[in-house]
Amino acid sequence: MTGAARRVLVLCIGNPDRGDDGAGPAVAKALAGALPPDATLMTRSGDMLAMIEDWDGFDALVCVDAAAGGSEPGRIHRIDLAEEELPRDMAFLSSHAFGLGEGIALARTLGLAPPVIIVFAIEGLCFDGGTQMSPPIAAAVAPVAGQIIAEVARLQEREHHA
Amino acid sequence: MTTKTIKVEYLARVEGEGALDLHIEGGQVTSANLRIFEPPRFYEAFLQGRSHIELPDIVARICGICPVAYQMSSVQAVENAFGVRVEGQLRALRRLLYCGEWIESHALHVVMLHAPDFLGYPDAIRMAEKHGDIVRKGLALKKAGNAILRLLGGREIHPVNVRPGGFYKVPTKAELVPLAEELKAARDMAVDLVRWVATFDFPDLERDYEFVAMRHPDEYAITEGRLISNRDIDIDISDYETEFEERHVAHSTALHSLVKRRGAYLVGPLARYALNYDRLPASIQSLAREGGLGPVCRNPFHSIVVRALETVFACEEALRLIAAYEVPEAASIPLEPRAGTGFGCTEAPRGICWHRYEFEADGTIRKARIVPPTSQNQPCIEEDLAAVAAPIASEPDDVIRHLCEQSIRNYDPCISCSTHFLKLSVHRS
Repeated sequence: MTGAARRVLVLCIGNPDRGDDGAGPAVAKALAGALPPDATLMTRSGDMLAMIEDWDGFDALVCVDAAAGGSEPGRIHRIDLAEEELPRDMAFLSSHAFGLGEGIALARTLGLAPPVIIVFAIEGLCFDGGTQMSPPIAAAVAPVAGQIIAEVARLQEREHHA
Repeated sequence: MTTKTIKVEYLARVEGEGALDLHIEGGQVTSANLRIFEPPRFYEAFLQGRSHIELPDIVARICGICPVAYQMSSVQAVENAFGVRVEGQLRALRRLLYCGEWIESHALHVVMLHAPDFLGYPDAIRMAEKHGDIVRKGLALKKAGNAILRLLGGREIHPVNVRPGGFYKVPTKAELVPLAEELKAARDMAVDLVRWVATFDFPDLERDYEFVAMRHPDEYAITEGRLISNRDIDIDISDYETEFEERHVAHSTALHSLVKRRGAYLVGPLARYALNYDRLPASIQSLAREGGLGPVCRNPFHSIVVRALETVFACEEALRLIAAYEVPEAASIPLEPRAGTGFGCTEAPRGICWHRYEFEADGTIRKARIVPPTSQNQPCIEEDLAAVAAPIASEPDDVIRHLCEQSIRNYDPCISCSTHFLKLSVHRS
């Protein structure tokens, strides 16, 4: 390996106008200015097919998204897709039929997915239009941001020593 | 007699939530109801009291796939009410923006949502394992359409640059150069797409549709024209309510549209193609023949070919508009609000999108009426389903279910627009 810094994309997914779906964009705000300069931070509101293009050229993708269907609102899941699949009983909400799981599966099939994908899922409670984030989800934003900063550092470090 | 029920809990690859109930008695299909249970969103009500200036940005929110259709019909209605016409390069830019929407919407439907039906895949992800090249082309086409929306509309979804009288900002010629390069590649990919979908096996079905579409003297109508049908309708868009009516039906929260004197009618790609074949450039007509299409196509399953063909057309048309582009003197023309009623009608990817607004003297909206394409197609979808299911009523439920789902997707239905997932039930007795 060359030891060049791994190109890491942090992708925060969600719609701030749909209650707990705003968790992703809120994490993006918390991360602004806090990531290493060679890491890229993006916020996207839901067109998963367009997002596949955003991943192009990155060595690692760190996603954060709200998820429905869990039993503990505000609970943070760290899922390393090299080790496990996205849980099927949790819905990663997105408009127009293509959610995060489908987007990643399609990108992998097409050979467009970064080799490393880490997903941070925050269990949401309410995704109604025009509502605020629920308190347990809002409380999870800062801890997730902290975990992502550490994750990005670890990913870049891993490459450095590879 | 025994009653049998087939259920598809969530029909994937359609926009919105609904269900289908199919009743079969003694081997005969007795009814096919497309049940739309998505709650109405009351756009027409909450537009009341809002400014005409806000209108295109509010109605854009009706749909994430076809926001331009709602924007274009609404600004046309404003301009109609206030007695102005947007001409020249501003008109051309609107047509270019609309081409972008056709490209992204059609490519998404043809490749990602509909093609898996014909090849026996459950979804585009599984299809991509064998047909990765075509899926990549579909995504690239969608990207090219989105690039037009981003440049002219400010962003891909729910554009923010459209205003009554024109735009807030218009592009420079230089800004269109990279777009043209992307569209040239997109055009070639769309041609490949036509040739690919034309090889599919299509179920035999010919339906005697009343096609309804817009017709323009010089163009394949997108942003303006008269409303015509293959029967006897040829009217100004302001006369829509004299020929067409909407009815409440118990099984749908979306209104059903009918020709008052006759009943169901079809809007969308098949209707546009049949009524405006002579307005297509020779290159597109030639490609249609190569794809096995005559000037009129009555097999709803061929809609995927027509949709791919319209994608090629939209790419070529966009390139033509870009080549002829000169920066207009102003990004918009001035409007003087006045009391009155205005009408707008344009060809959304799924068919005509008709709007009527009454305005106060200061341009405040007093009343709004919006008729989206999918609600107009509902009765036709139900007739198609009955026709599709009739000859296979004694077949296993899975066979009926698959063909019915495919039939619904012939329409690229946007249930969200018309009032999200579809549940299919077959009741046999």
